[in-house]
Amino acid sequence: MHHVAMGPFFRAWARIGLQSFGGGSTTLYLMRQLTVTTHTWVSEREFAEYWGIVQVAPGINLLGQTALIGWKVARLRGALIALLGLLLPSISITIAITALYATIRDNPVVAAIIRGMIPATAGIGIILVVQMLRPSWQQARNEGRASMLGSMAVIIGAPLLLALTTLPAVLLLWGAGIVMAVLFWQLRVRSGDRS
Amino acid sequence: MNPWLLFWLLLKASLFSTSGTGNVPILHHDMLALGWASDHTFAEALAIGQISPGPTGLWVISFAYLVDGIRGALLAVVAIAIPPFTALGVLIFYQRHGQHPAMQGFVRGLTLAVASMFLVVLVRIMHQAGIDWQSLGIAGAACGLTLSKRIPVPFILLLAGGMGILLY
Repeated sequence: MHHVAMGPFFRAWARIGLQSFGGGSTTLYLMRQLTVTTHTWVSEREFAEYWGIVQVAPGINLLGQTALIGWKVARLRGALIALLGLLLPSISITIAITALYATIRDNPVVAAIIRGMIPATAGIGIILVVQMLRPSWQQARNEGRASMLGSMAVIIGAPLLLALTTLPAVLLLWGAGIVMAVLFWQLRVRSGDRS
Repeated sequence: MNPWLLFWLLLKASLFSTSGTGNVPILHHDMLALGWASDHTFAEALAIGQISPGPTGLWVISFAYLVDGIRGALLAVVAIAIPPFTALGVLIFYQRHGQHPAMQGFVRGLTLAVASMFLVVLVRIMHQAGIDWQSLGIAGAACGLTLSKRIPVPFILLLAGGMGILLY
């Protein structure tokens, strides 16, 4: 635990919330600068370890990272204040932009702007999908044929089932997780038998 | 609109996803089934989420505002603020069991499924907005510019908005 005054601690996180235009990577960059470089609230290794943990924790990764760093600094109080600091400005601005948009969304010019933005959002989303899939796919290639086939089955099967059936998305996600858990376990058991 | 149900759907989507946009397929499925939102609402909220400050996961606040006003936005704030605290429990659990093959496999399956299912939502959003040569051109250009990393994402969206005025 660190002895950090909560006023400046809140303001430091609020500054990130105000400045982080440009999505998650900007926010993460500013967060690392604040917590590892400017202040030494967490070490380089802890920052990286937390980032790994939040990849598998529920919710928005950056908020999980914020909660873990806040917890390290001042336990529950630190986690709450860090989250509040990060979220308050971002949320206020997001709500203000949405409220403004909601009042002018029927305007033909605004409708044309959104018509242009929708395919761009989809294009950016496709890159996001590729970026999300790539590390897992590379790992599967290194692990061998069985892992690659299992991964391919999930990559093709999950979206097909979502598109063609009425199965709930949550069920498909859990199903994919369980299938791969069983596969990995069996692969480990077999490699253990051989060695 | 039942606020408790809306809150539960927002919370559930956040609890069962592990990234800012990982909740899109779950929310998309639930909200369209109830008739509370359309593909267009998702597209609008995702675009606003990209140009707003903070994590892109805040798109859900914009989405909840569009479907239920300020009450919805505040419900979304609470729904996204709760799951990060589970990271503390995951930290302890992962330090003990993270190396177990079943745990690694489960996380892998979840990651692959979330990403590939997001693709279905994107296709539906594009389809609902109307697919033509102009929209395919904008989507392709946005892909290229995002890959090049030369222009920040909010500017790509602003450029696309400008193209929208010229083309539509």
